[in-house]
Amino acid sequence: MSERLHRLAAIVRADFLIRLRRPSTIVVFLLLSAIPYLWIPNPSTGRALMQIGGKRALYNSATIGMATATLAAMFIGLTGFYVISNALKRDVLSRCGYVIASTTMRGSEYLIGKFAGNVVFLSVFTAGFMTTAMAMVLVRGEAPLEPWIFAKQYLMLAPPAIAFVSAIAIVFEATPLLRTKLGDVLYFFVWIGVMGGVTAMLEQGAGTNWAPFFDISGFGVLLQQMRTFYGTNSLSIGSTTFDAAKGTMDFAGLHATPYWIATRVTATLWPVALLGVARLFFHRFDPARVRAVPNEKTRRSWIGRLNLISKPVARLFVTALRPFSGSPAVTDALATIAAFPLIAVAAIVLAVFTLAADTANDLFTGILPVAFAACAIAIADISSREKRAGTTALVFAAPGLRARFVWWKFGSTVLVALAFLAVPLASAIASRPHLAVALLTGVAFTAAASTALGILSSNPKTFIVGFLSFWYIAIQDKGLSPGLDFAGWFGTATPAVIATYAAIGAASLVLAQLFHANELRRRW
Amino acid sequence: MLRIESVSKRFRSGNYGVRDVSFHANAGVLGLLGPNGAGKSTLMQMIATVTKPTAGRIFFRDTDITANPDPLRRRLGYLPQDFGVYENLTAFEFLSYFAALKGVRSRAKIQQMLELVNLHSVSGRAVGGFSGGMKQRLGIAQALINDPELVIVDEPTAGLDPEERIRFRNVLVGLGEERLVILSTHIVSDVESIATQIAIMKSGSLAALATPEQLLKQTGTVTLEAAFLRVVNSGTPVAQAVA
Repeated sequence: MSERLHRLAAIVRADFLIRLRRPSTIVVFLLLSAIPYLWIPNPSTGRALMQIGGKRALYNSATIGMATATLAAMFIGLTGFYVISNALKRDVLSRCGYVIASTTMRGSEYLIGKFAGNVVFLSVFTAGFMTTAMAMVLVRGEAPLEPWIFAKQYLMLAPPAIAFVSAIAIVFEATPLLRTKLGDVLYFFVWIGVMGGVTAMLEQGAGTNWAPFFDISGFGVLLQQMRTFYGTNSLSIGSTTFDAAKGTMDFAGLHATPYWIATRVTATLWPVALLGVARLFFHRFDPARVRAVPNEKTRRSWIGRLNLISKPVARLFVTALRPFSGSPAVTDALATIAAFPLIAVAAIVLAVFTLAADTANDLFTGILPVAFAACAIAIADISSREKRAGTTALVFAAPGLRARFVWWKFGSTVLVALAFLAVPLASAIASRPHLAVALLTGVAFTAAASTALGILSSNPKTFIVGFLSFWYIAIQDKGLSPGLDFAGWFGTATPAVIATYAAIGAASLVLAQLFHANELRRRW
Repeated sequence: MLRIESVSKRFRSGNYGVRDVSFHANAGVLGLLGPNGAGKSTLMQMIATVTKPTAGRIFFRDTDITANPDPLRRRLGYLPQDFGVYENLTAFEFLSYFAALKGVRSRAKIQQMLELVNLHSVSGRAVGGFSGGMKQRLGIAQALINDPELVIVDEPTAGLDPEERIRFRNVLVGLGEERLVILSTHIVSDVESIATQIAIMKSGSLAALATPEQLLKQTGTVTLEAAFLRVVNSGTPVAQAVA
């Protein structure tokens, strides 16, 4: 093996092991693996996983394989990015990058190594997900398991998403403006745009000659194959009710003819070109271009500058709330706002939009969902920041905080969320008082999930990605499924739904407390 | 061996990290002293080819490394200040990674380095559980894994206990017999017994460069610590003070 290949292999291996052994990887994998079990309904309940042209697709390897592969492609796009977008940052913050920069390794070689590391990790992660999803054929299948047919659906759908996410993560990490927290948020909309853009074109029959070659998510290919091979535009994936009178269909799976393979191979290969963009911006760990501190803390980063500008507003905010300080949770909440002054500015902007809203409907289906998403980003690192900053011992030295850490952080998170959402929430409750319980439960559920996932994974991204994915599904659903209306925005959450989210929030806190107690026993 | 000609580093803010520094050094241990913010780390980063000077040139064995860094990079060992580790890797995996980046494939060499820094008995343990001193020793091991001719170590003794410091000093003395070791620190006692040359930096400039004996003589002091303080606190141009 040449020296260059040896180095690439070393990067891939190290990145893979580092990620595989991370607690957040295990948490995300377990959460994602549980989804097929909840997502694939028993047909006897009147609901089906997939319908083609109105007919229920029989639960064979092709049906369950294709449905879960589409889910996997979506997860790779949404979750995968957040799981892998720390490859360069790790080397910057640990200063291992300085050593790397002092070797003969070229910048492009390093970026290719990191890209390959991302591809390998996401591929193994997807293979693990596929294996757990395969078990659903044994659990709910109406035909024997055919592993190759099952795997073929994944091979047809997942590779472009893996390559795209692996490359774009490197671009975001290498580019000054995009490697901040804003980049994390911006990516979410990039993926939605990339996924939705090509699919929408193909759905409308536009660009059918070239668009399939750019279909990252594979959803466009699904629609085209349905049209070409099954003569229908109607494809539904996900738990929906079906009309048993229309009969069933023995779905054979995606067709892998040379043309379709060419579209998927091309869609897998072109994202590699994005590495050229990353190379343009890559700092090669030059301390004059990148600082070994979290980006939002550097004064010269734009987010750092915005934070500096926002400080007077945050001071006013903190001063106004100081009379309520006294408990550790309030102090921590105030510290959060003081440390990240943009929270105060964002809260004021939200208040202005709320007061300017024309109708209650605008507030509930427009401003509140956006406010919850922004709030999620604001509260995401409250429960994990001590661990990341290495100040846990300092906090544990304070009376009572060691044992009550989870509840302290939950209290602090709730307070920041309430302060952030104060005006939209108050306005919403005033206009529709019957939704007050649902709204407040939504806040508590969001805060509990943030606290629990932060403590379990020591990482804010686990919550950001989990919540934004869930948020996106809830927004797209527009309240049609009461079970997804977790904060009562669409007014369809039933008392049972509200109680369920409250219970999930409580259970996640109990889980976090058990984990914390175990950590205390093992390490402290 | 190493020649530095009028090197400066000016940041985008307009501030100078290093300003017009010139010196040359041969095999031995060069102790780079200076208060915090004196420009020691910036100078070392430029010598280690991590960042480029905004003015001046650096030569290693007569090759201009600012224009052609690869010949030096093949023979360089660098331990940056506040060096971190990949917490989920074992000590062996961590060292193997850096060995591969530097073109070293021998497992025996990795074992040898782990023995040198006294980590061979914990080579299979995740480095996340290591003490600060153990992590620092691992950093030292990665710096030495490719048998470098130029070793640059920035505040290497931070976090080491007295026994480890002595052990590390002995390692550097051994290395300095045939190669150039640049050791940056603000702890004078770290260098006084091992440095063959002392360079003192102040506000980005080189304030003094001499052997320990010359420095004591020129400053009229009896300890290196006193000499260092006199140079650093001198109101007059210090280069003159020790000239």
